[in-house]
Amino acid sequence: MSFLAQSVRQVLRHTTQHVSLNGAMRALSISPALLQQNKPAPSTIDVSAIAKEHSKAIQSVCEKINQQVAKSEQGRLFAVVHLCGKQFKITPGDIILVEGYWPPTIGDEISLDKVLLAGARDFTLIGRPILEPGLVTVKATIIEKTLTHTKTHFKKKRRKQYMRINFQRSPNTMIRINSIELTRPVEHNAADAPPSLRLF
Amino acid sequence: MVFLNLPLLVRARGPDEFWRKRRIFKLAAHYRSRTRNVYTFAIRSVHRALAYATKGRKLKKLDMAQLWTTRVEAGCQQYGVALDTFKEGLARSDILLNKKMLSDLAIWEPRSFEVLVNISRERAAVEGLPDIKRRSAFNQVYGLSNLKLD
Repeated sequence: MSFLAQSVRQVLRHTTQHVSLNGAMRALSISPALLQQNKPAPSTIDVSAIAKEHSKAIQSVCEKINQQVAKSEQGRLFAVVHLCGKQFKITPGDIILVEGYWPPTIGDEISLDKVLLAGARDFTLIGRPILEPGLVTVKATIIEKTLTHTKTHFKKKRRKQYMRINFQRSPNTMIRINSIELTRPVEHNAADAPPSLRLF
Repeated sequence: MVFLNLPLLVRARGPDEFWRKRRIFKLAAHYRSRTRNVYTFAIRSVHRALAYATKGRKLKKLDMAQLWTTRVEAGCQQYGVALDTFKEGLARSDILLNKKMLSDLAIWEPRSFEVLVNISRERAAVEGLPDIKRRSAFNQVYGLSNLKLD
């Protein structure tokens, strides 16, 4: 409490210096003024030049990635996909388990389109929230459809003559990830391209 | 033809005592001491065990969620960012990875996770979230006040 009172007193003392409320809040802050870095930025700066430079830097990164992919030196890719309301981190050869009812049957080949993130040894592509359709192709096969082990749902209340027992088994589906591939070169201005007809 | 005589009004006792007890003993086979051999004790502990198992299925999910939170928090601490700021920064950048994925990335893909932290911190600085004291790295380099990156 004494600490608070002290700082409030300080603010009161500083009212002549910091007229605005903003200044008062700054005076309340525990961190020293040096750390706050509130130097006013110079107003005369050509933003378009900076934007150009920025986009050039991004372009060079994209080119590096494309070169690596062209020479197929990127190694094994991993991806984070959204499937049945859950997210899975997968790499080729993995088997993932989808719990609950899911229509596809054994032998179906599907492509997982909601790729949230894809990465290799030297780069990571991050989707906002998903990567553009067609950039990364994830192919998978349904290999097994089974039921879970029997789960016993048992409830009991003491001294109340209440006891319920139920048994439940829910469907499970196993999927093998066949391949994860970068199907087209990474572009900087992909967002400016005409919007795809595919909606998620 | 309906029989309304006395034997039909007696309450049915269910299956034979042997089979009724055997079901319980099978579940109690691996217990220790008299809970394994004495029916009165066995049925008590079997009921308790089944009730715990039922509740445990929900608790397991909660525990995992807690564990992921802890892991992501530890991952953020490496880079000096608070968990809330990290998640807020990601959400404002439209990156919708869940806790499970973030914890997996923090463990198995540290470089991807570092990139995510950097993106989030940059966004937090640009949006002026209270936890970030420094200006965004991008704006410091170019001497801008608050340029929004998109």
